[in-house]
Amino acid sequence: MTDAALGFRTGSRAAITRLADIGIGPGTLRAVLLPTLFAAGILGLWEFLVWFFDYPRVILPAPSLVWTALIDQFDLIWFHTVPTMRDSIAGFFVAVVLGVGCAAAISINRYVRDSLYPLLVTIQLVPKVAWTPLFIVWAGIGWESRLSIATFIGFFPILIAMVTGLQSTDKSLVRLCKALTASSWQTFWMVRLPASVPYFFSGCKIAITLAVIGVIVGEFISSSEGLGFLILLGASNYETDLILASITVLCLMGLAFYGLVQAAEYLTQRRMSR
Amino acid sequence: MTVLVNPADSDLPGVRLYEVVANRAAEWAFRLAQPVLATAVILGIWEAAVRVGDISPIILPAPSRVATTAIDLFPLLIDQAGPTFWASLGGIVAAAVLGIFLGTLVSYSRTVMETIYPTVIFFQLIPKVALAPVFLLWFGKDIEATILFSVFIAFFPVLVATISGLQATAPMYERMCHSLMASRPQVFMRVKFPFALPFIFSGLRIGVTFGIIGVILGEFMTAERGLGYVIMFAAENFETALLLAAILLLLGVGIVLFAILLVIEAVVMSVYRVQ
Repeated sequence: MTDAALGFRTGSRAAITRLADIGIGPGTLRAVLLPTLFAAGILGLWEFLVWFFDYPRVILPAPSLVWTALIDQFDLIWFHTVPTMRDSIAGFFVAVVLGVGCAAAISINRYVRDSLYPLLVTIQLVPKVAWTPLFIVWAGIGWESRLSIATFIGFFPILIAMVTGLQSTDKSLVRLCKALTASSWQTFWMVRLPASVPYFFSGCKIAITLAVIGVIVGEFISSSEGLGFLILLGASNYETDLILASITVLCLMGLAFYGLVQAAEYLTQRRMSR
Repeated sequence: MTVLVNPADSDLPGVRLYEVVANRAAEWAFRLAQPVLATAVILGIWEAAVRVGDISPIILPAPSRVATTAIDLFPLLIDQAGPTFWASLGGIVAAAVLGIFLGTLVSYSRTVMETIYPTVIFFQLIPKVALAPVFLLWFGKDIEATILFSVFIAFFPVLVATISGLQATAPMYERMCHSLMASRPQVFMRVKFPFALPFIFSGLRIGVTFGIIGVILGEFMTAERGLGYVIMFAAENFETALLLAAILLLLGVGIVLFAILLVIEAVVMSVYRVQ
């Protein structure tokens, strides 16, 4: 039962709704201010502790030092960001195409699906990163191996999400299509595929995060370019500030990718609801 | 098949039970047979392709060759699976305890939760594996560094799941508890926690996978022991059959850890009678 149904506090609720209409909810300031203050507090505490206990910069450089490293060595960091970005995005897109394609193929009939789906779930129990060295054996130490790792690692979440999504279609809608003598292709294209869009995007969100991880692990294991390589280089030269600066850029990149997928989801949903 | 009960009495519950059990068994056998058959077909095609196409064992060893390697080197592999298993278990357990405890603590106050949650989500989204070299720099190349890294990776899914689970209780139940004068700890133990359990366990499932990822990555980088080390060693020496055998054993480790979690989940859920 809602508050309205219980008949109390409806007055204040209405007022809150009107404020929310113009974009200022009662929690907006709180929701932005509190986390920002918290993050700032953590950084401040970190800076203070490093200064107070005089930690060696190899162990823990202060945030200000990381910032300096980021500014001073930005050219170097950017040089290594480009390959990581390129391989992640390319791997992600190949994974999307392969994942959706394979999911459509698997979902053709329930025997194929019931045979293959348990296998896919079982394979998921081996961490994908464990396969990385195999791709380096197969594709060498160039960008090809990193792209295939990103594809491989991003492929499974999309596949699983799409198989689940295609299965989730309302049974009565499918029956209706049959009654209207729609071909199975038409049913797939006009009913089952649109119904699986939310699943598709939740798969994509996992996949884009994992694709970046795959590329980084590939660069850790063997590479001469990319942010993973730069992080390892920093570690072997004990330049912890450079490591943390590279990780900062990497985080921003990951968040930007995630935001793009979310934006694509928003636009698609808006288009579909019209 | 002989029916144990006289068909004339077929409306007796005994017959129905027998039929139900037989049907269930047949259904399960069929369900199990499908993936087993699919595995057999895939392995058969793989074996045939390698033999007919004469593919180099460095590129793709036949399943039979992987099996032979796994059997021949079984003592070595199981020896290296030990550290991987125990490090993963330790990392996952520590991450679970820490995640559930801190998640509960954070959820206790709405203000604290709103303050910390965005930072937690931030950590959930960023590629944390990039921090592996930093952990090695901080904690050395011993197994502790690997376990700590695994805790770090597995912790966030559990934390996020606990926080969102504890928010999942319908407000109506909470209000009812308040009108019945239940204390906050009582509401937590009897209502909020049971409601959060399905969320927590789905977080723990991700945590298990992530914990193993942390350990494998740690073993990749330190290269001293464990299945991760075997995989790296095999790749460097182009012994692809050994690499696949190690991955097979890693699958075993994953299945054992996952099975432990499923048993715990079943026990806890039945204690709380959560569906």
